Amino acid sequence: MNVKELPISRQGIVPLLIAIEAMVLLPLWFYIPSWISALTVALLLGKYVMYRKGITPLRWVLLIVVLLCVGGVFLQFKTLNGRDAGIGLIALMYTFKLLEARSYRDASLILFISFFIVVTAFFYSEAIWMGLYLLVAVLSILLGLVALNSPQGVQGLGSVGKISGVTLLQAIPIMVLLFFFFPRSSTPLWSMPTDTQAGSGIDDTMSPGSIGALHTFDDIAFRVDFEGEVPPRSEMYWRGLVLSEFDGFTWFKEEHSPIRQELELPMTSTYQYRVQMEPNNRNWIFGLEDLAEAPDGAYLFSDFTWNRRRQTTKRFIYSAQAYDIDFSQRQLTDLQSERYLQLPSNSNSDTREWAQEQRSNHQSDEAFTRWILSYIHQNQYSYTLTPAVIEVDTIDGFWFDTQEGFCEHYAGAFVYIMRSAGIPARVVTGYQGAEYNPYGDYYIVRQSDAHAWTEVWLEGVGWRRIDPTAAIHPSRVEEGLRSDASSRDGWLEEFGSDVGFDTPNGLFQNLALRWDAIQNFWSETVMGYSQDMQFNWLRKLGIERHQYRYLGYGLLATILLAGLVFGYFVLRGAQKLEPVTKHYLRLLKKLQKHEIPCDRTMGPRDVLQLTRHTSQKVYSRAAPALKTYIAMRYQEQAVDSELLKRFKQQVAKV
Amino acid sequence: MLSVIKQKFFSWVDNRAPRQTMTLLQQRNIYILPTRYGWLMLMILVLILIASTNYQNNMGFMAGFVLLAVGLLSVFYTFRNLKGLEVRCLKAAPVFATENASINVQLTNNTQSQRLAIGVGLSKKSVGYVDVMSQSKSAAIIYLPTSKRGLVDIPRIACSTIFPFGIFEAWSWVRTPYQVLVYPKPIPCPEPLTASNSGIDEGQTREKGSEDFHSLRDYQAGDPIKQVMWKAYARERGLYSKEFEDYVGEHQTLSWDSVAHYEKELAISYLTDAVLTAENSQQVYGLELPQQTVAKGQGPEHLHTCLKALALM
Repeated sequence: MNVKELPISRQGIVPLLIAIEAMVLLPLWFYIPSWISALTVALLLGKYVMYRKGITPLRWVLLIVVLLCVGGVFLQFKTLNGRDAGIGLIALMYTFKLLEARSYRDASLILFISFFIVVTAFFYSEAIWMGLYLLVAVLSILLGLVALNSPQGVQGLGSVGKISGVTLLQAIPIMVLLFFFFPRSSTPLWSMPTDTQAGSGIDDTMSPGSIGALHTFDDIAFRVDFEGEVPPRSEMYWRGLVLSEFDGFTWFKEEHSPIRQELELPMTSTYQYRVQMEPNNRNWIFGLEDLAEAPDGAYLFSDFTWNRRRQTTKRFIYSAQAYDIDFSQRQLTDLQSERYLQLPSNSNSDTREWAQEQRSNHQSDEAFTRWILSYIHQNQYSYTLTPAVIEVDTIDGFWFDTQEGFCEHYAGAFVYIMRSAGIPARVVTGYQGAEYNPYGDYYIVRQSDAHAWTEVWLEGVGWRRIDPTAAIHPSRVEEGLRSDASSRDGWLEEFGSDVGFDTPNGLFQNLALRWDAIQNFWSETVMGYSQDMQFNWLRKLGIERHQYRYLGYGLLATILLAGLVFGYFVLRGAQKLEPVTKHYLRLLKKLQKHEIPCDRTMGPRDVLQLTRHTSQKVYSRAAPALKTYIAMRYQEQAVDSELLKRFKQQVAKV
Repeated sequence: MLSVIKQKFFSWVDNRAPRQTMTLLQQRNIYILPTRYGWLMLMILVLILIASTNYQNNMGFMAGFVLLAVGLLSVFYTFRNLKGLEVRCLKAAPVFATENASINVQLTNNTQSQRLAIGVGLSKKSVGYVDVMSQSKSAAIIYLPTSKRGLVDIPRIACSTIFPFGIFEAWSWVRTPYQVLVYPKPIPCPEPLTASNSGIDEGQTREKGSEDFHSLRDYQAGDPIKQVMWKAYARERGLYSKEFEDYVGEHQTLSWDSVAHYEKELAISYLTDAVLTAENSQQVYGLELPQQTVAKGQGPEHLHTCLKALALM
């Protein structure tokens, strides 16, 4: 019998392979096109039926179906070259291979290719579940290999399968060390096509009035670690974009350019923080106001926003500082004044006239600004996520008729009023507030924290942040939004004590926070482990130069160490002799010391004779032990602990 | 070129594996290399690491390093599967040329770990698999094809294993001092052998013949005195002679001269066939070869003596 030549139809290898393929493909089914998922499931089930009925598929039929599938993938993706098309194709071929598998070679190929399929799943998700998937998938592949390579096949898995579990457990520490030392690259080896999925979160336009219902998502936008002091949550304004162009309906991002020279503004650093941003498929990143120096890999723009050159398609980690910028010595240029006062002349004329009229009743821009805020506070303006849709003159409609909306309505209307009154103003979008996670000592900013506020240019002061939404009277905040919002939104927290909002601290909330802390550790420290982090800890060890070389030393040391440690433990198991043989070998060694030319290849009787002929003295001492050994080995003498003990003593006497 | 390297390599291997009745597999005589699937795995591993570097995918790195660690560990596991095994070749029974000699290889495991899927064969590529449980023995039979008569050295025997993962193959070559005796291939002679039969040796015939008592008849003058039934004569029942079976033509001496005109190997084959025929029809036969003569006889041992003489001629 030769394992290599055996067909895999023996001993349940085929069902095992089917189970392994299903296990390996499991996460992919959620990401690849559903017809491919369905087809792979059908092929696996088909293989099982064929196995039970003993049918082998005809090669030419299979070939035609494979070609049809390749055509299908091409139609789906319009290419066979991209990542998604490639993974779809690989998943199909993987199951087709099993369908026609009949030899050891086929089965081996399938099992080793499985490792690669596992990795393709990680292109779609690096969540903590995927770590579990990795372990289970590798374990099942190893189990498959053991079954394939042992003559008893699956039957012996109970006792034999232990070896795959033990191997995996031993592999984990080696993996951790290699993971730690393997040099990472900060740039990709070749450029990859970017994904075209729509990102959730902040958009670069804003059209208040057109949206009938705002869906808030609890997805995490980013997590923040503060070093040292932490601002109050009501002060956490995470600036993303500045929208200053208005066409009467929609606010647009302005054309802006990066600031290349040093900022010549007096400023003081306030907070230090680290952001771990979830992919949003956009160029912009968020920072705590006021923004200045851009983090590595990003640029500061003239409207004090940050942009990256590339879209954030993977988790992006950056460190930054918040500043207090003193604009008091600055003047707006004519161009800037014009931009921040620009309004379309053909719409929303009611609001414009009203604003101009009200401005004339006030002494200064600042007084007028404050008056508008108190106007919102005292009148029937309310906060709702499901405002009425306004067809034309959205600002007029909101300001005079509906008087309900969310941050975008208020920010848009406020800037419109300011500009009408001759005060330069702009809309800022981003996130406001954060949820503190005590289990990981960091803050979570979610998509539902998305917010819009404004900036107003006051002569002698510069840009001043004004959040008109915060001026709404708390009693007019939609019921049900309160408890939800109060936990996160700093702008409501100010009023929290007035109306008695509960701070949720139930069991579920705690568990959720703990879970997020674990996920944060996973995504920030484990999945976010990068070249920067490698060089950082090397620097802490005092290694500034030749960092790659030291990582290489680490790798080499890991492999050597693993070899020594596991070599010792694994091989020691092979040398562990059963006691009778062990004592007998000791006896032989002793006899050799007494210059009796015996060795292991001789039978014990020969040794006995040899000893008698060589030295009578040694013979008298060694004979009892040798005779006991012969009795135990050749005369079916039952070996019990008593006899073993006697044998041991007899050997000791020699 | 390749064959020269192969020859050099195997003479080096043979130097390290002396012919002995028992070989203990240990560091110095176990070799280990990746299997073709091991190389495939290495390729996949490199692919995974390149892809992970490019996509900066730490999950991918993890998978790659688990794979690397499994590969590393499988070196030890595969090696351990052979280490400490005792290999013994038992003496092989003689066979006729072109038949397969069956060589009994005994694997002894004195350790407390079980050894699974140990392949034993004439080369690594053609092995049969046995499991050797802890503190036990297992036997594997290797079929050695023979072509020529004579004493044949048992070639080096490969003990190999790819257990548990098939990533690495560990193997050892074991050599035994025993030889296989290969009898000549029996070929029936196209013409009857001009057997130099006919009781040339009177005494021998009689001696043999006197053992096979057949019947009694009246004494006739000239009957050998030994065949007279003296007991009956003593009782005054008359003089009888014991009659013995007639062996003439049925006990023969197979002589080299009768086939000497054929080509030598063919002649030997013809004689072999004649010996076997004689044995099978329970004849008494002897063998006369140029260097050696086997006295007449019968039975398995006698057959072996004759065949051995023919094999080693």
